[in-house]
Amino acid sequence: MASLTTNSPGGAARSAGETSAVWRERVGRWIFYLPLAFMVVFFAVPMALTVVFSFFERTMFWMEPAFTLFSYNNFFFSARLENFLTSMKYSALAVVICFIFGFPIAVFIRRSIPQVAQHRVILLFILPFMVSEIIRVFALRPVLQRNGLVNTTLMDWGLIDEPITSLLYTHTGVVIGEVLSFLPFIVFAGFLAMEAVPKFIFEVCDDLGVGHRRRFTDVILPLAAPGIFAGAVFIFVNGLGVALLPNILGGPGAVNAGLIATQAITALDFPLAMAVSAIMMATLMGLLYIGHRLFDLTKILTPLN
Amino acid sequence: MTDEYANPWLYRLKWLYMLLLVVTLMSPVLYVMYISFNANGFGARAYDFTFEWYRLVFSDTLLLNALRWTLTLAVVVTCITVPFAVLAAKYYKTAQNKLPIVFLLLAPLFVPPDILGSALLVYFKSLNASFIWLGDQLGTSMFDGWFRLSFFTAVIGLIIYTIPYAFIVVLITMGRYRTEQTEAARACGADGWRAFWDIEFPQIRAGVFSACSFCVILVFNEYTRTSLLKGGFDTFTTVLISQMLNTGMSPQSYAMSSMVAFTAIAIIGSIIIFTLIRTESLSRLARAKAEPVMSS
Repeated sequence: MASLTTNSPGGAARSAGETSAVWRERVGRWIFYLPLAFMVVFFAVPMALTVVFSFFERTMFWMEPAFTLFSYNNFFFSARLENFLTSMKYSALAVVICFIFGFPIAVFIRRSIPQVAQHRVILLFILPFMVSEIIRVFALRPVLQRNGLVNTTLMDWGLIDEPITSLLYTHTGVVIGEVLSFLPFIVFAGFLAMEAVPKFIFEVCDDLGVGHRRRFTDVILPLAAPGIFAGAVFIFVNGLGVALLPNILGGPGAVNAGLIATQAITALDFPLAMAVSAIMMATLMGLLYIGHRLFDLTKILTPLN
Repeated sequence: MTDEYANPWLYRLKWLYMLLLVVTLMSPVLYVMYISFNANGFGARAYDFTFEWYRLVFSDTLLLNALRWTLTLAVVVTCITVPFAVLAAKYYKTAQNKLPIVFLLLAPLFVPPDILGSALLVYFKSLNASFIWLGDQLGTSMFDGWFRLSFFTAVIGLIIYTIPYAFIVVLITMGRYRTEQTEAARACGADGWRAFWDIEFPQIRAGVFSACSFCVILVFNEYTRTSLLKGGFDTFTTVLISQMLNTGMSPQSYAMSSMVAFTAIAIIGSIIIFTLIRTESLSRLARAKAEPVMSS
């Protein structure tokens, strides 16, 4: 419409300029779809295709189109399922520990630190997260070893006589690794979630004479639930999916979904790896769906709008 | 603020707890740094300070090569991810239905590295196979090797990994920007790009720069996705991890880990110091403006 009205009076040169401007506007509008298109092609489609590939039949080095439940059979009727469920248990334990240690910090930052300084304090927690997770996990080995930092310190203080050997190459080691790797996330998620709890709420609670415990369970927890849930899902799923944690810190029996998938890839059993990925995605989607129905997860981003 | 006055000791105790937790989270890294300067390596009784292990790292051509690859990867990924994040954030602000955008851009956060890596690996392998098949049908070899594992596939994997972080950071800074300013610029005759570059960008610059530094650090640190998707080259972490997995921790690998940690601490530290100085100077400016003019 606009081009019609502007085209008539000007000369040829002007109309050429106009069309190029119009053309630029049109490209400008489409360019906003570029990131989304990229994510669809290289993220959503590959993730969806894992389900398709998981039904394929395994060949010597690759796979061929078919419909077989062999990979799922391979997963559900073997020690893999047991390992998967065990890793779920320990992952849930890590979530609880992270919440107990990390969430009070998010409350504290929101409540007692001046607004301008809050982001700077959060940066402190970004620091450990910015050092490669793998390096931090590897670095746990010399800390937790028989003659490592923890044991030597405890023995120097005379608290124990013999080094504790159950810290490393056991499920305990994996849980310690998960807590130390993912604790910052509950602080971030809690920090975002506490945006939904205005400061005056604490004063109102004080005025009404509500105890600390009731304030926490009846006021803070329901308001901050979406953010806490998002953080918890993040930690839970990563505890299931980061292969290097059980690989480096775990002992016998410490196998999670990520490790099963990478081992399957190494063994060139691609359909099995895809089946594990599909199961993980189903778990993730199921959790996110439940969370969304219960707490409406889009609330987390309301402070950004 | 309330309990700061009500009970100063409790307030200090909470601060202490928080700092203690940060130190605990950092303790493995700090311990590795401590070991990396010991001439006798891990577990030795004597502690002799030395830079020897760092010198060894820098004289290793394999490592220097890997370092070069890592930096190239980091720069390329950052140059694509950050503009993507800005575009997506701008689109998000105006979009009617925000849920699909949030889902697409934030979901990679929730997908564990090994799962995303293996899904992309199989996807690229089958894409490659189908492109070669397509080329055969059309009688051309033009499509061969587009999606063979290479620098390009590693870049794609890392963009997907870094884009949620960049998106959130840019979106947070964009939250303070008022879109009326863009409308005013457009009404004055500026085109979309001018309005963005001259009016909006200066205001979200801090967010864009921190998104850039985040991307660089994340790519520098990433191991799982890179090792699954890379072609025939090595990055700093893949060399480090394969050395650790195959031969165990050597004094040299302690030095390498510490170097990665030092880089991250330097970047985050300089961001904190930079913002401190900036807010300080801004508040001084504001105070100077607010001060009444004395006529004497």
